[in-house]
Formats: sequence, C-alpha cells, structure tokens
Amino acid sequence: MARMELRNVRKSYGSVEVLRDIDLDIDDGEFIVLVGPSGCGKSTLLRMIAGLEPISGGDFLIDGERMNDVRPRDRDIAMVFQSYALYPHMDVARNMGFSMEIRGAPAEERARRVAEAARTLGLDTLLQRLPKELSGGQRQRVAMGRAIIRDPRAFLFDEPLSNLDAALRVEMRLEIARLHQRLGTTMIYVTHDQVEALTLADRIVVLDGGDIQQVGSPLDLYERPANRFVARFIGSPTMNVVPATGAAGGVRLADGARIALPHLGDAGNAVELGIRPEHIDVVGAGAGDLEATAELVEHLGSDTNVYAQVDGLGPMMVRVHGNIAARAGDRLGLKIQARNAHVFAADGTALRRAERSA
Amino acid sequence: MNVRTPTTVAPGETRARSPLYWRYAVEPFVYLSPAVILITLVMLVPLVVGISYSFQSIAILNPLKTGWVGFDNYAALWSDGKFWTALGNTLWWTVASVTLQFGLGLGLALLLNRHFHFRRIVQALVFLPWAVPTFLSALTWAWLFNPVIGPIPHWLAALGILAEPENILGDPDLAMWGPIAANVWFGIPFFAITLLAALQSIPGDLYEAAEMDGASAWQCFTKITLPFLAPMIAITVMLRTIWIANFADLIFVMTGGGPANATQILSSYVFTTAFRKLDFGYASAIAVALLGLLLVYAAILLKIRQKFVKI
Ligand SMILES: Nc1ncnc2c1ncn2[C@@H]1O[C@H](COP(=O)(O)OP(=O)(O)OP(=O)(O)O)[C@@H](O)[C@H]1O
Ligand SMILES: [Mg+2]
Repeated sequence: MARMELRNVRKSYGSVEVLRDIDLDIDDGEFIVLVGPSGCGKSTLLRMIAGLEPISGGDFLIDGERMNDVRPRDRDIAMVFQSYALYPHMDVARNMGFSMEIRGAPAEERARRVAEAARTLGLDTLLQRLPKELSGGQRQRVAMGRAIIRDPRAFLFDEPLSNLDAALRVEMRLEIARLHQRLGTTMIYVTHDQVEALTLADRIVVLDGGDIQQVGSPLDLYERPANRFVARFIGSPTMNVVPATGAAGGVRLADGARIALPHLGDAGNAVELGIRPEHIDVVGAGAGDLEATAELVEHLGSDTNVYAQVDGLGPMMVRVHGNIAARAGDRLGLKIQARNAHVFAADGTALRRAERSA
Repeated sequence: MNVRTPTTVAPGETRARSPLYWRYAVEPFVYLSPAVILITLVMLVPLVVGISYSFQSIAILNPLKTGWVGFDNYAALWSDGKFWTALGNTLWWTVASVTLQFGLGLGLALLLNRHFHFRRIVQALVFLPWAVPTFLSALTWAWLFNPVIGPIPHWLAALGILAEPENILGDPDLAMWGPIAANVWFGIPFFAITLLAALQSIPGDLYEAAEMDGASAWQCFTKITLPFLAPMIAITVMLRTIWIANFADLIFVMTGGGPANATQILSSYVFTTAFRKLDFGYASAIAVALLGLLLVYAAILLKIRQKFVKI
C-alpha cells in the first residue's frame, strides 16, 4: 500500500533537462498510466520512482517518507521491465523466487509462494524450464510472477506488453487489470498504446517535452483535453485540427463557414478548431457546415472511415458509425457536432467550456 | 569443379542416386580437404612422430644404441627423481600462476568495467605486457630480482619479507616465485581482456532487476556475474593452464631450471633433455607424459563445465 508524491521532481543528464518540475500525487491503490511520445521521459520518470535513476532535484515521497536517497532494494517496489530481464541461467521457479532467495526465506515457503503465483499465472507446468525455452507471452508472465511474489507496495511496468502480438496483448491487458483488482496495489504503467492507457488507467498522465501536459481520467482527457497536444495525442483516429478565427459565440473557418459554439463562453482568441472524426456527421451535399469530396472510404463493418478533402480547408477525417453508401469521389456535406468541438488559443491551450469555467 | 553435371548413366540404371551420393557423402569432404590435409600435416604427423620417438632410443651422443626400445624410456622416467621433482614443480608453477593471473585478471576486468575517465586509454595500456616479447620480460624481471641492479629485493627486505636483500632466484626455496611473478605480470592482461569482454556482454537490466529484487552488490556478483562468466572462465582457465604448463620460456631465461632443479618444470626438462643432452627419445617420453596429464585435466574440466554452465 503506497501513496506517492512527486514534488517539483527534475531530471537532467549533464546540461540536458529531460524532466522538469513534475508534480504528481498518486493515491493508494491507484492505477496510473504514463503516456507520451517517444523520448519524452516516461521511462526515466518510472526509473526514478524505482530508484534506478538518481533524482536531480525535487522530492519524491512514498507514504510521506522521502525516498530520493533510498536504495531501490529498500523502497519495496517491484518493476516489470520491457525486456522482462529474466535471469537466463535460472529456471522459472528460481526466477520467480529470486527475491525470496535473496532475503534468505526458507526453501519450503519459497516453493509454496512460487507454486501459488505460478497457479494464478498459469505457469504450473513450466516451473523447471529456462527462460530461453519459453514463448514471449510465457516470459512476460514469469516477469509478472517475479514481481507479484514479493507482495510489494507498488508495481511499476515499463511497456510490458510491447513485445507481444495483438491477441496476446489483449489477454495480458485483461490479466493486468484483474491483477490490479485482486491486489489493489498502486500501479504505475508506461505505454505507447492508447487502448491500454484508456482501458487500464484510473488516471492518465500525459507527458511531453519534459512537462506534464495533463493528468486526468481517460474520459476527462478525451472530452476535456487541456491543450492541443493532449487533444491530438489521446483518441484514435487523431482529432482534426483546422485554422479558425474566434468570433462572438463561435468561430469562423478559413472557408468562410461559421460554426456556432454556444457552450464556449468566449472564443475570441481562438486560432484553431479541433473536432474528432467521430464527432462529424455526413449529410447530403449542401446540407452541412462544410462541403467536401470523399477521397477514400474505408468500410470497417462497425464503422466507416471517410478521408475527405474539404473545400477551402484541406483534408479531414470522418468516422461514421455503421455503414454509409459514400464512395470515393462523392460530394458530401459535413456537419460538425458543435457541442463536441474544441477550440485552441495561439499558445495551444484549450478554451474552457463555459459549464466548467463558470 | 562442377559436381552437379549429370554423368552419363546406362539405360535402366537409377539416375537420381549418384548426384545425391556426391552431394551428401563426398562433396563436403572435398571442400574440407585443404583444412584436413593441413591439420594432418602440421599437427597429427608431428604428434605421431613424437609419440613414436618415446618408444625409441634416439640419443645423438650415443648413436650406436639407436632403435626401438619398447617402454624402456617410460621405465626410466618412473624411477627418475628429476622427473618427479619437475612434475611437482610444474603443478606448483601452473596452479600458482593460473590462480594469481585469474584472480588479479578478474579484479582488473571488474575495475575496467566501471565508468571512469580515460577508460579506453587504460584499457589499451593494460594490454601492454601481453605485447612485450617473452624474452625481454624475462630478462627485465631477472634484473628486477637482482639485488645489484634491481629494486625488488630491497623492497622485500624493507617490508620485512626477506631477512636481507638477496637474489631470490638463487635460493632454491624461493626461486620459483621469480618466474611466477613474471608470469603473473605477463598473463593478467589475457584474463582481464577476455573477462572484460564477457562482462560487457551481460545485459545491464539483469543487474537492475536484481537490485529491485533486493540483491546486494556481492549477491549480484555471485548470482549473476559469476554464472555469466562461467563459460568464459572455464575455457580461458583451461587454455591458460595448458599454455602455462608448457610455457618454459620465462623459466629458461630467468633461472635455466636452477638452482638445483628448484625451478625445473616438465617442459623445461623436455627442452634441456632434448637440446642439452641431445636425448630425443627420453625427451619425447617426458613430453608424452605431460600431454597425457594435460588431456586428463582438460577432460575433467570440460565435464565440470558441462555440469555447471547453463547458458
Ligand atoms: N543515460 C542517458 N544519458 C543521456 N540522455 C538520456 C539517457 N537516458 C535517457 N536519456 C534521454 O532522456 C530522454 C527520455 O528518455 P526515456 O527513455 O525516458 O524516454 P521514453 O519516454 O521512455 O521513450 P520511449 O517511449 O521511446 O521508451 C530521451 O531524450 C533520452 O535521449
Ligand atoms: Mg521508454
């Protein structure tokens, strides 16, 4: 059980500042997912929490106790590495029981705990194998087993599923969700995968350029992104962003269309309009806010993706639920669901919705 | 040579067999033949000739008695006190040299594997003793041990290890330490460089995982580093043991096997028997005995390696 606090935590390698002023409170038992583009410092932050990387500045506390100078072995945190980092010369049982072996736990207790963990992870029949004799998914389970067996106060995962194929990834994702439900232990999870982030997280932390861009529940980030970066980073397919000019009660687009945005108190300093593909409706030519030509239509069965070229604005992607009859080359009208639109100021920050800022 | 050209086959005879036979039974050996012939010429022939010498009397100083003598040379060996002294010396020389070279080499490798300034330069410098001709290092070490021109006896006396600054190379009880010291200096780089290469191939995240699992530095060393180094240790220790047991150059230059055979090892005994006494038959018998011992040693070590090395 662990409550973690990061206070103005910084990290620099020489003169290169990788993370600055990271402030974050993690509640006991919370599942936190760190996302962000490659190289933004997710792994670095995780490793600083683990104690594998020294903290350049600020304070890191677990349950109110300052951890900056505490060695990893004394932090009582388990970590699952992306490479799994299984000990290749030890069989599965010894790999999983290694932390107990180190602590000098009696052999019977060790065997009992290993067998217990192996049962929950479906590894019972593999205990005598060496890591090189296992499949990728099995290795991943062993890595998780090694962490579980310690009964630590927090788990750290660094892209644990990125080496697995799609089907196995879904399965292991559910496994991790179940694990969190069962143990209720604080977990911090780094991933590139939107779906993993949105499905697993209690709260998502979006990192970019060494700063936290936004912290919030998956729905929060989807519905109320704090800025253009988060808006485009969260959600798939990516949000369309087009230039716009703020006007009273709405925005004017480059092609002259006026979009009324009654939910925004004042869009006066808006420079861009953001709209997710699933928040645009296809209507008959001439009946929508925008006129467009379909360039490519993908029928996915449950959804239809339309890559449209909007007159006077450029490309835009539209996702319609179900099947529509549109084909490449068709003229379409696009209707923007104004209540789901986002507007961004020149510095990229999203203009708050009236109902929240009021 | 185009071995796949179809040969003319009489009607009714199988056409598939002969090209296949060529490809799988004969062709590989055609390609292997240069190596096989070379190995036979440079390794097997001298070996067989050497072993056959050990069953003959070939003494240049006694040309009348040349001829096959059966096991006479070996019988003489069995009752030759000098042989048993040399065997004991060989054991002592080899075990002390390999142990010290390995221990210090491993320590040096662990040091060089850490990050520090000028690491590359230091790594290059460490390799230097290996590049010095043996003859030169032997002479240098002999001088270092000479109390007239060398500092070592004076240092040892100052430390109280020697009662007075005498030449240990002249003292039958201590003389072996001279060549051993030179050999250790000469051989550390070999272990340091090979073990450093092995150390650098250990994935760093294993140490991080072990650290998270609570392992201390010593536990990391015994439970991760050593198992990973084991294959390299087994093979280098075996090679170096064989090499050092046969390595008479340093001894020959520094002490010539003396004083009073105190530093005579089997290979230097072979050398003096063959080229000082010109008794090639007897020298071959000693060499074959040494070969037999080393083969037994290598077999044991390979067996141990099989049992312990899992990677
Ligand atoms: N040892 C190091 N020395 C110097 N710079 C480093 C070091 N380790 C990481 N960095 C830099 O720190 C930044 C963050 O690295 P980090 O590995 O945390 O990224 P990440 O967000 O995990 O990326 P990815 O998603 O690709 O794993 C990168 O720009 C990287 O170049
Ligand atoms: Mg990373």
